[in-house]
Amino acid sequence: MTKHAWRWSIPGIAITMLGATALSSGPALAQFRQPQPQPQPSTATAVDPGPRGGAPGAGGPLPGLGANEVAFFTAATDLFNEVDTVPLGLGPRFNLDGCGGCHAFPATGGSSPPVNPQVAVATANGAKNTVPSFIRANGPVREARFVNNPNGTPDGGVHDLFVITGRADAPGCNIAQPNFAAALAANNVIFRIPTPTFGLGLVEAVPDSGLQATFAASAQRRGSLGISGSFNHNGNDGTMTRFGWKAQNKSLLIFAGEAYNVEQGVTNDNFPNERETDPNCQFNNHPESATNFTDGTNGASPASGFSSDIVNFALFMRMLAPPTPASGQAPVTVASNGTTAVGTAAGGSATSTTPSSTSITAGSQVFSNVGCSACHATSQKTGKSNMTGQSNVTFRPYSDFALHDMGTGLQDRVSQGGANGRQFRSAPLWGVGQRLFFLHDGRTNDIVKAIEAHSSQGSEANTVINNFNLLGRTDQQNLVNFLRSL
Amino acid sequence: MRRLLLLGLVVATGLVSWVGWRYGAVTLRYGTVVYPVPLPEDGKVLGGVYRNDYFDLSYPLPEAWTEGLQGPDPSDTGYYVLTELVPQPELNATMLIAAQDMFFASKPHGDVAAMVRDFRQAMSEVDGMTIDREPTEVKVGDRLFHRVDFSGVGLYRATFTTAIRCHAVSFNLTARDPELLANLASSVDKLSSVAKGDSRSPVPICVDNYAVPENTLQRVEPAPVGPRFTPIPVRIIVDNQGGVKHIHVIHATAEQRKSIEDALRQWKFKPYELNGRPVEIETGLVFRFTVAEK
Repeated sequence: MTKHAWRWSIPGIAITMLGATALSSGPALAQFRQPQPQPQPSTATAVDPGPRGGAPGAGGPLPGLGANEVAFFTAATDLFNEVDTVPLGLGPRFNLDGCGGCHAFPATGGSSPPVNPQVAVATANGAKNTVPSFIRANGPVREARFVNNPNGTPDGGVHDLFVITGRADAPGCNIAQPNFAAALAANNVIFRIPTPTFGLGLVEAVPDSGLQATFAASAQRRGSLGISGSFNHNGNDGTMTRFGWKAQNKSLLIFAGEAYNVEQGVTNDNFPNERETDPNCQFNNHPESATNFTDGTNGASPASGFSSDIVNFALFMRMLAPPTPASGQAPVTVASNGTTAVGTAAGGSATSTTPSSTSITAGSQVFSNVGCSACHATSQKTGKSNMTGQSNVTFRPYSDFALHDMGTGLQDRVSQGGANGRQFRSAPLWGVGQRLFFLHDGRTNDIVKAIEAHSSQGSEANTVINNFNLLGRTDQQNLVNFLRSL
Repeated sequence: MRRLLLLGLVVATGLVSWVGWRYGAVTLRYGTVVYPVPLPEDGKVLGGVYRNDYFDLSYPLPEAWTEGLQGPDPSDTGYYVLTELVPQPELNATMLIAAQDMFFASKPHGDVAAMVRDFRQAMSEVDGMTIDREPTEVKVGDRLFHRVDFSGVGLYRATFTTAIRCHAVSFNLTARDPELLANLASSVDKLSSVAKGDSRSPVPICVDNYAVPENTLQRVEPAPVGPRFTPIPVRIIVDNQGGVKHIHVIHATAEQRKSIEDALRQWKFKPYELNGRPVEIETGLVFRFTVAEK
């Protein structure tokens, strides 16, 4: 073969191979790579009756606690609802000025209230903040996370909405808010709304082996539904983590400590350093909240008074009862010794304004049948707990506390621990009947839309949502009514 | 004449390349790494047929059915959503084809029959669920499946499960009425092998728990990278001389995948012997990084 022939043949081979592949497999490639049109359900979908009315079935302490524990809980509730100022540690950057402002509805410890307090706090006490476009008066409380750093490396951290610049209690501080408009334009910002904290002490008291046992019990069923799931783990000791939208936090104390610093800017025993280091915005010694060595008074609980704020917050959440469903079924059903922790929480029973108990009961059956309960596991059981009356308690959080791939539709592109950008913890559904906003970013207040949003490319929930769409309208509505009864 | 011969060679090369791509003999994954062996997740629907070379399955879809939404990536327990099939234009039934690697199942079972019995028990405990057909052995093509039917809240379902290469491969059918389900179930009868008769290439036998210290002659630890304490399941093919011929990191971050592949290529095993002769095997192992990234 001549030199000329080789020169011709090498690009010729490449071009011919490409051409052959393109010509002969073009339609096949198109079929494989382009999303197929999805078939339509033949029945109209159900309608969300809206948040259940009546008294909040939440907000009180766990039934069965001792008197000292209840006294601590009562005192800690006051601290949880405290409004911080700069002398108390607020800022330099923050999302709100108190725990109870975000975790507010339907009772202290819950999630976003109907009127978003972030609008008012933006200009409170002389502050000059601009309210970002994704914060609305009737929308959910939100934090913002940037997906990537300017250099393209992963960020994922919280970028607080507001600064103390201009406040009367922060003279000389002159820092600016992040440029959220630019982040939005660059599709580089995602949102999270507050997770409700009801019943989390029970969740904390479940041993890892208990979560694993519940998870393993549904393994075969999950396998028939396209669901796998995995647990997030703590990088220090290897145990399972279970709090937060991605189950990224190990304990309620870490949860409280991180939120106190990140959401309010208050340094504390867990997170003793300010995130914003501008010297003109430092007004306090650190940590700004710490153990009190001399003042042991806080209501009727000296223990609360000596404890730092984050210990109070953690114990408030640890002793906060689960929500009571409208059906009157006690959220806590089995006590360790048969004498305590049975019945309705002290926060009061919700008055049902939801549809008939027949529909709710039927909806519970639908919930299990279509496969919702494969991830939103109905019950869990505590192990040995040092809280009075809380050992070996069976409770109904409707979560396996595992991570699941929720697909491209819900992805937030933020990794936390072992959770990647598409994975989220199965959100506990207890109390969902009185929730105003759904999904991690609060994108909807319609529970039917929240159900449908579980389905997208790559989601583990696709088969279950197909099952939901295969249901007759009555069964769909029963399911929705059941959810609004929780 | 030479040019004609050359042109013929070029066309033939292109054709062979296309056939390789089309039928899964060559699969390019993860940049420059070339796997000559198909992977479980590589199955796809082409021309109305779901074809999976790893499991040697070919299933012609019912008329007017297509692939639905893509499922999740393989899991850290070796679970695969192979494909989900849906009818067009109205959703009145679905079919999920899935596989569970028996080496890594979160709830181990001795065999597929035991797994199906366990599944039947689990379904019977679901409030309002009725078992319509107890686990039954059925022959589809030359494969033995275990079928169980159940129904509740107006949904009628059947699951066909079979063992292939130490995986439980399942066809999960759901329909709005029993007749639709029966039609869908009868379509499973059309399931066949990708390769016919003698043209089937031999697959390695699967051996559970072979990558243990007594069988490992040389072991190089992967550098710990990425999230800690997360299980990383890996399937490997060990050739008849004990070398690692093929590595499939089932679930990991990209950096973990590279670290494990780099290390495993250096491993050496005692050859597995069958009837006194060394043979190629497929086995599994799980990595879990527990020390800090350096």
